[in-house]
Amino acid sequence: MTVRLNNRTRLDSEQPTDESATTTASAKSEWRWGRASRVIRVAVTLVVAATLLAGTMWGSDDDFPLGPFRMFAGVNAPNEPAPDPRVEAVDATGVTVVLNEHNAGLRRAEVEDNENTYVAHPERLSLIADAYHARNPKAPLLDRVTLIQRWHEIRHSAATGHWRDEPLAVWVRPS
Amino acid sequence: MMTWLFAPVPKARVAALRTLTYAFVIFDLFVYDSWIRDRGAVPSTLYQPLLIARTLHLPEPSNSLVHWVFWLLLIAAVGALVTRGHPVFAWPVFVLYLEMLLVRMSYGKVDHDRFAFLVLLAVLPTVGAARHGDRTPSQRAGWALRVVQLAVVATYFLSSWAKLRYGGPGWATGSVLARAFLRKGGGIADLLATVPVIMIGSQIGIMCFELLSPVVFLLPRRWRYAAVGFFYSFHAMSFWLISISFAPHLVALGAFLPLENTRQLARRLRRRRGTETSPEPAGQVAATTSAAVVRIPDQVGSRSGVVVDDS
Repeated sequence: MTVRLNNRTRLDSEQPTDESATTTASAKSEWRWGRASRVIRVAVTLVVAATLLAGTMWGSDDDFPLGPFRMFAGVNAPNEPAPDPRVEAVDATGVTVVLNEHNAGLRRAEVEDNENTYVAHPERLSLIADAYHARNPKAPLLDRVTLIQRWHEIRHSAATGHWRDEPLAVWVRPS
Repeated sequence: MMTWLFAPVPKARVAALRTLTYAFVIFDLFVYDSWIRDRGAVPSTLYQPLLIARTLHLPEPSNSLVHWVFWLLLIAAVGALVTRGHPVFAWPVFVLYLEMLLVRMSYGKVDHDRFAFLVLLAVLPTVGAARHGDRTPSQRAGWALRVVQLAVVATYFLSSWAKLRYGGPGWATGSVLARAFLRKGGGIADLLATVPVIMIGSQIGIMCFELLSPVVFLLPRRWRYAAVGFFYSFHAMSFWLISISFAPHLVALGAFLPLENTRQLARRLRRRRGTETSPEPAGQVAATTSAAVVRIPDQVGSRSGVVVDDS
């Protein structure tokens, strides 16, 4: 038998039952809110899809959430060393602490994206120290914060196991 | 096209996904991204507001703002969970979650693992009343799940597009995966990163899988589930190797699955294990058959029939 949900959709069931009448009534009642709602849904779908497509082709991260999906989209040559940055701090007791989103509220990638700024203005590393202290008020003061780049050697798109560390920027607490 | 976009699905399917979604928001707040609560402590000098935040003149994240958003979002998510997604709670969840994402992404790094989940939060309030166990077909629910499916596939397909835009065809033979393995991996990932054929082969495989992901809409039901299983296994592998889970995206991926059958599946598994010895109470059977007027095997449009569930 045929169950007619509306003038566009027809659904066939295997055998006639009383329940199918209930289905028809239920489906019809669902569309009491009118054709306009369906047109709005189609329009919203098309506008979001078109904007996302435009964001992918011409947009940037700034256009989030309709910008390009560019995680891991960068180009890295087969023999290009892999940078692996970290922010290391030494506190007043001499203990070394690696600063990250869990203890300072900043992710590594966020530091990396602003790497040039930290290199040009090492004093900005004090902002990360400030964020650490705001989150850990009882922790010993951080006396020195260093942005370190670990360069992993890559050959033929694979790691060789060799690496070297390069300090990019250092901030020392004024005495 | 309209028929495909509005292909009806059982209301129970969207009800199950809705429960999963709002439960995940709570999990996200307390576990998955709990560190976001301390964003307010980061000096505002490091804040780089995104276009949408600048356009709407959203305030800079401060301790009080982040805490307000956190607690309001928690209340809204719990409210949406217990009121079966009442719009009074469901819309604020969408708005507050977006604000939380803006706080998260406005410090120099933007992720794309939340797009489909954000779409899911945006469409859930439009579904209307949907109860667990209610197998009444609904076109509103069908549209909601369809656009979430589109968002899921767009996340894959458009990320391959971005790879071609930023990396070019050379992306597939570059060293991006070795770089990711070294930076985020450990253990077996470090070992795999030293094998060129695995790295380049995986990159070519990822590019092919992402470019071909729209094919999932053309597959027959069983193959489609297999493809979705492959998507899940891909993310499981990523999590195992480099600790990137795409968890919110995995929730949205549930839009492809017949989640309304979860309880029956669990019951069947229990029976198979022999833990369920007593037969189903007669009253429960009657309730099930009266409520389950129609069973739709899947969201496949008008070419597929609706099967009366007289079992």
